[in-house]
Amino acid sequence: MSETPADAQIQTSNTVNRPGAPLRSAKSGRTKARPADRIFQGLSTGAASLIMVILAGVALFLIVKSVPAITANWSTNPELSTGVTQGHNSFWGYVAPLIWGTVFVSAIGLIIGAPIAIGIALFISHYAPRRIAGVLSYVVDLLAAVPSVVFGLWGIFVIRPFLLPLTAWLNHNLGWIPLFSGQASATGSTVLAGGVVLAVMVIPIITAISREIFLQTPRLHEEAALAMGATKWETIRLAVFPYARSGMISAILLGLGRALGETMAIALIVSPSLIFSLKILTDGENSQTVAANAALNFPDANDLQRDALIGTGLMLFVISFAVNLIARLIVARTGPDAKGRKAKRRVAQLPPSDPTSVLLGDIEGASRSPEGSQRA
Amino acid sequence: MTASSVTRSSVPRGPIVNSLKTGQLPRFIELYTFIGALAVSAGILLAVGFSIVGWLVVAAIVYLVAIGVMSSLVENRRKATDRVVRGLVTVAFLIAMAPLVSTLLTVVERGIGEINWNFISTSTARVFNPKTLVVSVNIGALQSIIGTLIITGIAALISIPIGILTAVYLVEYARKPNWMSRTVTFLVDVMTGIPSIVAGLFAFSLFSLIVGPKAFSGFAAAVALSVLMIPIVVRSSEEMLKLVSIDLREASYALGVSKFATITKIVLPTAIAGLVTGVTLAIARVIGETAPIFMAASFTDNFNSNAFAGPMSTLAVQAYTGYKFPSTDIQGSINSAWGAALLLIFLVVILNLIARLVARFFSPKGLR
Amino acid sequence: MKLKNVAAVGAIALVTAIALSSCSSAAPTPKPTKSAATVDLSTLSGTITSGGSSAQANAETAWYTAFEAVATGVTVNYDKSQGSGGGVTNWTGGSYDFAGTDSPLNPAQVTAAAATCGAGGGLDLPVYLSGVAIIFNLPGVTSLNLDSKTLANIFSKKITTWNDPAIAADNPGVTLPSDKITPVVRADGSGTTANFTTYLSETQPSIWTYPVSTAWPVTGESAQQGGSGIVSTVTAGKDTIGYADQSSVGTATQASIQQGTSGSTYVKYSAAGATKAFAQSATTASNGTTGDLTQKIDVTKITDGYPIPLLSYAVVCTQFKDATQAKLTSAYLGFIDSANGQAIAAKNAGAAPLPASILADVTKSLKLVK
Repeated sequence: MSETPADAQIQTSNTVNRPGAPLRSAKSGRTKARPADRIFQGLSTGAASLIMVILAGVALFLIVKSVPAITANWSTNPELSTGVTQGHNSFWGYVAPLIWGTVFVSAIGLIIGAPIAIGIALFISHYAPRRIAGVLSYVVDLLAAVPSVVFGLWGIFVIRPFLLPLTAWLNHNLGWIPLFSGQASATGSTVLAGGVVLAVMVIPIITAISREIFLQTPRLHEEAALAMGATKWETIRLAVFPYARSGMISAILLGLGRALGETMAIALIVSPSLIFSLKILTDGENSQTVAANAALNFPDANDLQRDALIGTGLMLFVISFAVNLIARLIVARTGPDAKGRKAKRRVAQLPPSDPTSVLLGDIEGASRSPEGSQRA
Repeated sequence: MTASSVTRSSVPRGPIVNSLKTGQLPRFIELYTFIGALAVSAGILLAVGFSIVGWLVVAAIVYLVAIGVMSSLVENRRKATDRVVRGLVTVAFLIAMAPLVSTLLTVVERGIGEINWNFISTSTARVFNPKTLVVSVNIGALQSIIGTLIITGIAALISIPIGILTAVYLVEYARKPNWMSRTVTFLVDVMTGIPSIVAGLFAFSLFSLIVGPKAFSGFAAAVALSVLMIPIVVRSSEEMLKLVSIDLREASYALGVSKFATITKIVLPTAIAGLVTGVTLAIARVIGETAPIFMAASFTDNFNSNAFAGPMSTLAVQAYTGYKFPSTDIQGSINSAWGAALLLIFLVVILNLIARLVARFFSPKGLR
Repeated sequence: MKLKNVAAVGAIALVTAIALSSCSSAAPTPKPTKSAATVDLSTLSGTITSGGSSAQANAETAWYTAFEAVATGVTVNYDKSQGSGGGVTNWTGGSYDFAGTDSPLNPAQVTAAAATCGAGGGLDLPVYLSGVAIIFNLPGVTSLNLDSKTLANIFSKKITTWNDPAIAADNPGVTLPSDKITPVVRADGSGTTANFTTYLSETQPSIWTYPVSTAWPVTGESAQQGGSGIVSTVTAGKDTIGYADQSSVGTATQASIQQGTSGSTYVKYSAAGATKAFAQSATTASNGTTGDLTQKIDVTKITDGYPIPLLSYAVVCTQFKDATQAKLTSAYLGFIDSANGQAIAAKNAGAAPLPASILADVTKSLKLVK
């Protein structure tokens, strides 16, 4: 197929109407700053430095507090070899199962919650009738506002008994899968229950942010796609998702942040053990999370044990950082530089005469504009 | 990517299908299919054993398969995918609404009986009868309502301006990542997962250094909540500011508008709905915290409206203690816990409404 | 300060109560004790900040309500969310005027207390006597007898079904199901756990080979947060058994526990039983600090009281930085450890009154608090 006039036209309009690169030079040319400008820049820079000081202060506090417990000999130290920290040889032996548990339980919550949350956000932003969408988005906001202690109580009184039949069924019929193996719970205090409650807690967060982001996608691109005969799903895949990718990942990360740090709901619902376990249907073989463990044991801990629990909190920072780093790498890899290749593959999959393929030139420009602005 | 690369890769394969001329399923097919799926599912489940949850789940699966098959037979694969995705999104929505609505219903159902004017307008009153030695406790929530407003209010006052200004710095001023923006982003990333109890301990230790060992105060708790809140505000605001189209900024600069005015008059108002959502989420996250309040503001049944001295209670704390440390009247305590939980949700709803009004007032006309 | 903010109804009720209380100090209803008589409580004013043991919490609420009704200028804040260990930590850190704890100060804490309180150190004063109740939920079974051996076997997972011969032997005539036993234990560190594991390891050292600990030492059981977590899980579940401080069990079904390690008498918790058990088993074993009243409880010596008593202490500095605060705190603790105070706890929290000899010792020790 040779270059058609239509293609050429799109190409031209791209360069004329979408000034991607020249923007920055135009900006740097404008140097004259007014007093309000300088004050405002000072304010926002000040705020950023303040945050840096506060958060660095917290981090430093944690490190200083936890060092004595991390370096202590856990089997001989009289404070650490009794009570809530007894039976562990070192800090690392104590914290390792907790790290595993935190990642595992949060992952279950996120695996259940994130797809559903994106689904709801799409439903509200693109599928539901306008009037209903307004009401629905309000309901979701409301649910995002339900405090975690309420979810904890709800988990105890509603979700635990509700999941018992499912727990028994899964354990009986699918017990050969490690996830569902073990002695099925009789009380309902399982990782599954914890995961479901976590999922319910992260859904409103992810939904609320994704919805805002989906709503912000340029209407023109979507309308163009629709006008070209793309189905709704193709429109979303081609004109909404590329634009919203970074924001969606941020939304999921904020949800994950809540899941990782969630304290009371997990502490109230899950019956914990400090072990590496894949089982999600048992009473006695559930992994435990860092935050819930700290909340459970803090009250009865002595000074050095408190330091140890703070040390586990420090490990949670490491987890958060690792997760965020991975997510940022994902954003970067699927960002504008990487997108060209992907888009090409998509083109190849589409029926050749399909009008959507013509759209791609435009979508390329669209996806470059918002992400380019972040980069700039 | 150039246009030529598009054309090169789109080599025709197979017959050309014109979607306007090919077959289409009737208009209300999705509704009919769903009703059919419900019936089929009921049939299947009646054979195995009926349960409402199972019925709906099987119906959803039957529906998705049926609509996918029908659409790909009559229409084409693209339309089939579209219909299946539409079904999936709707199912996701329904699945999610079930637990969410269940949460709300549970709280309302169990809490509404507890809420009356007396519960809201008085703080917990304890009466000792020296004749019988009986202590009777009349649980009120006023001390917790005031405590919640004070502690969360101060936390919001600290976190929102700092958080949004930082987001402005990151998006508008630190255009090329410099060491400061990198450090802030790093710390914000790391802090999103901070265990709340640790934040409480940090605030308490900080205030112990300043005011001595009896540092329990609402203000200390507010600082602890700020530590939890700031990363959320920064993260969500940053995302929302990034979404503001660069074209708007360019247009503003092109007209000679200063950067300050561009940010305050163009960027922030455009993003206001998203900013408000982010801030509301952050408030909701911290308003329900218990562990840091215990660490930094201790616990009390007594009324205290002085943010700078003495223990203070919040609604979340009252809900948690009502369940975890019940009085000898266990059912009464648990009921009051649900009552406090419901009040907390009411409070958040009101805050949410105010936030939406603010957003509507400031957002540019005709944007949505 | 509190009065100002209570609504009219509450205020009137309080005023009535105060009026009543001033009447009653003249009327000899409960014997007024020396410690309460020596200080005129109504002249005191200030705030006591305290916290710790949640087992004491209900008794503390009753105590400070009664105390504030007389000492109208005083506000007492007791933070029950901290737990025994947290209470002591906050107290050695100087944040609390006194802390409630289910276990007496250990050597490290005694050292820390000496650093905070000066040369006189800190005192363990017994304030609250109660018991650990064993609760269960077996459909169709309303009363259950258990001996210490069976208890140790159940909680260490050596007996796993309800129709085990050992349980059947204790319960002739009771139809026991063949279902698995679900033991429900504490997920958080707790003084209740420490008392219960002490009982198990002292009565059945060959079966209960786990350490005595505030953290539940056996893995693989259903662990719940707080006594209330155990109570709600046991009552909501089926075939469950758990332990909790008697003040938090509410309407859950209590098992009867064998007195001693042999014999055929099985008892449920009662205040009288706990007092009897305390009298038989407790001896003062001071930790070396003058005036310290740490009690050594040897549960094997209990022959006809409730076999699993729980004693909770208040720990207080001998040397306060602020003399007014010292006067306030010692007046409050004196009020708790008066016959009147113990009767209030018995009435409102099901606690067992401490013997008069202990109360007299506490009065003596409180004179050291300055």
